[in-house]
Amino acid sequence: MEAVIEISGLVKTFGTFRALDGLDLTVAAGEVHGFLGPNGAGKSTTLRVLLGLLRKDAGTVRLLGGDPWADASELHRHLAYVPGDVSLWPNLSGGEIIDLLIRMRRGDPRASRRDELVERFSLDPTKRGRAYSKGNRQKVALVAAFATDPTLLVLDEPTAGLDPLMEQVFNECVAEHKARGATVLLSSHILSEVERLADRVTIIREGRVVESGTLGSLRHLHRSKVVATVSGTAPELSRIDGVHDVQVDGAQVSCTVDPEALPAVLAALTQAGVVGLTSTPPSLEELFLDAYRDRSGARR
Amino acid sequence: MTRTTTAGTLTGAQLLVRLALRRDRVLAPVWIGVLVLMSVASAAATAGLYPDLAERTRVADAVNASPAIVALYGPILDPSSIGELAMSKMTVLYAVFAAVLFIVVVRRHTRVEEESGRTELVGGTSVGRDAPLAAAIMEAVLLAVVLGVLTALGNALGGLDPLGSVAFGALWTGTGLVAAGIGAVAAQMSASARTCSAFAAAVVGTLYVLRAAGDTGPQWLSWLSPFGWNTQVQAYGDTRWWLLLAYPALAAGLVLVAQQIRARRDLGSGLIAARPGPPVGSPRLGDAIGLAIRVHTTAITLWSAAFAVLGVVFGMIAPGIDDIIRGSSMQGVLDKLGGYLIAAILSIVAVVASYFTMTVVSHTSHDETDGRTELVLATTTSRSRWFAATALVAFAGVTWLLVVTGVGLSVGYLAADGPDIGSLVLAALGWAPAVWVTGALGALCFALGPRWTPVGWAWPAMFLTLEILGDLFDLPGWVTGLSPYQHVPALPAEPWDWPAEIGLTALAAALLAVAWWRFRERDIG
Repeated sequence: MEAVIEISGLVKTFGTFRALDGLDLTVAAGEVHGFLGPNGAGKSTTLRVLLGLLRKDAGTVRLLGGDPWADASELHRHLAYVPGDVSLWPNLSGGEIIDLLIRMRRGDPRASRRDELVERFSLDPTKRGRAYSKGNRQKVALVAAFATDPTLLVLDEPTAGLDPLMEQVFNECVAEHKARGATVLLSSHILSEVERLADRVTIIREGRVVESGTLGSLRHLHRSKVVATVSGTAPELSRIDGVHDVQVDGAQVSCTVDPEALPAVLAALTQAGVVGLTSTPPSLEELFLDAYRDRSGARR
Repeated sequence: MTRTTTAGTLTGAQLLVRLALRRDRVLAPVWIGVLVLMSVASAAATAGLYPDLAERTRVADAVNASPAIVALYGPILDPSSIGELAMSKMTVLYAVFAAVLFIVVVRRHTRVEEESGRTELVGGTSVGRDAPLAAAIMEAVLLAVVLGVLTALGNALGGLDPLGSVAFGALWTGTGLVAAGIGAVAAQMSASARTCSAFAAAVVGTLYVLRAAGDTGPQWLSWLSPFGWNTQVQAYGDTRWWLLLAYPALAAGLVLVAQQIRARRDLGSGLIAARPGPPVGSPRLGDAIGLAIRVHTTAITLWSAAFAVLGVVFGMIAPGIDDIIRGSSMQGVLDKLGGYLIAAILSIVAVVASYFTMTVVSHTSHDETDGRTELVLATTTSRSRWFAATALVAFAGVTWLLVVTGVGLSVGYLAADGPDIGSLVLAALGWAPAVWVTGALGALCFALGPRWTPVGWAWPAMFLTLEILGDLFDLPGWVTGLSPYQHVPALPAEPWDWPAEIGLTALAAALLAVAWWRFRERDIG
């Protein structure tokens, strides 16, 4: 597959602060690519370099086969962008802003899916920009982005203000665009959001890539954190393959478990007389702690 | 102490005052500093200029004989008083500049905060419902007192009568209080911070024109305007101390009205309910230029109406006046104090119109800091196009405003059967190159980065200050020559100066080109 986005060795500094420090990112045509990282990791900075809003300090960046800085306006014909924090013109109505953005991308609002999307996102297009809540401002930008058929959708934490029902609509829209062959770059700091949609993910931290690959290949992403309270003596979980970070605190046992090890862990816990059990997917921060600990461990 | 009042709705006002003062730590001191400096400079210069009683009585009589100057600055009610003469520009015209500060401050901490949603953020804490308005007023009162005290001290040190200086300081304080009241009411009008500006500007403009009309015609009209009171107080003459009470009384009334409206409306709404907008966009709103025109149409309409009215009013007063001046032996002095009415009006219109350019540039700057520019530049709209759209509306808009003023003047002048003095529209346009230069400087500030945009607002005031200081202290020509307005002849009274006009236009074009180049090269946001 041909790459829609190719970034290598990207460096961007603000004063003395190195926001991006040799970042690499490749997004293939037709994939939904999750771009993960904690707040302040450099996700938005990367997207804004991709959009030609920021000038890179070093490295190479190719977008849809062109230079995102020099060919910005030409490339943007094939691209739709939803920023993380959408700000609207206070005096324009939502409908006007949607149509304006579509027209600015050389689309025709009347020939687009905007009406259907306004309906699906249950957006009131007659409200003025200043009157919308954060979630509704986001919907305005999303409707404008989804209404036409861009080659690439760049979405920066697009569901931050949406309620679960609207998140569902959002997921459907992404799936529809993927089905027609569009490429989607989806940034987020929530793993579960990306998990449902993304074919591949790239995880960054402090301006560098820590992980990149298919979700399946990033095995430790699927670890669960298990916390159990047992009535008997705590079982020796650390002996089981695929169990990490075991901690015993009286009757409470906690550990992180690879998917393959779950049956064995559950069996051991049952035997010890489990009276309370929670299993949660790890947060991104926990994953990072894991990733670094594993590496420093391997080095030793 | 607000905390001890029974109304918990005021809780946290003190905290908000501190926050407001911190946010205004550059704006307020600079603005107040310039005003005090101008006042002290006028005081000091005049004392040296006219030490002799007979001479200054003659000057004051000449001023009063010229409705042009009276319309601009108000009359000098006590011709023998050196203070009244020294403060002739300060009493009314500079009081308007002082008033603008208080409107800006109150608007900034009430409606702008509410529109941005930050008031909601604050309202979610233990801060009371009435605290934001109360805090804005408290800050304004504090600044007004500081302005008054510093001006009084400065004028006294500048050599004017100390008691009169106290009265003069008090009347500037009073003007500030009333302006804060106007700002508070204006902030209640609609959900938009721009409507607030427009309403406040309209009120200040009306009060100024009422006074101008009253001072040159039926005197009772002046008494309807706080700017008229400024003259009637006669700070350095037979002072009407009781009149100083009228300012806080009016201010309190206005704040009360504002508070009543505020208490009856929802957060984020205004007295004028927001009408729903069109569900779909018109094809004309399809690119950067369409957007810029749409966003500024209301503002252009309001500015045009204001300049048209101003033009007609002063155009009608003009014909009777220039005859008086021509026949006067004091013509030299009069020129120094303002010259012919139309020329003087145009010179002020040019400075004020420069602020229109800044409102447009500033709007684009806010688009960038708020994140809307990002949304636009992620479409096929190029940076050049985005910059060009702003520049087009800013520069074509301000040129249009000069034309409107010229047309207004012509209409008024013809209606009053004035003698032929050439085209007033062309005279107004003669100021365009100077206005373009200030506008291009503003655009250049924005092009360096949005955080430099506020500097753009300082240029017109700085140039004006420079000219007046240069006049008062006979500074070398090159100092006052730094102001682009200084190079425009007093049209239509003086002949055109083509090299200057062309030079200014070229300078504006060059500055704009640099700004455009810089905006294309820099990071956005």
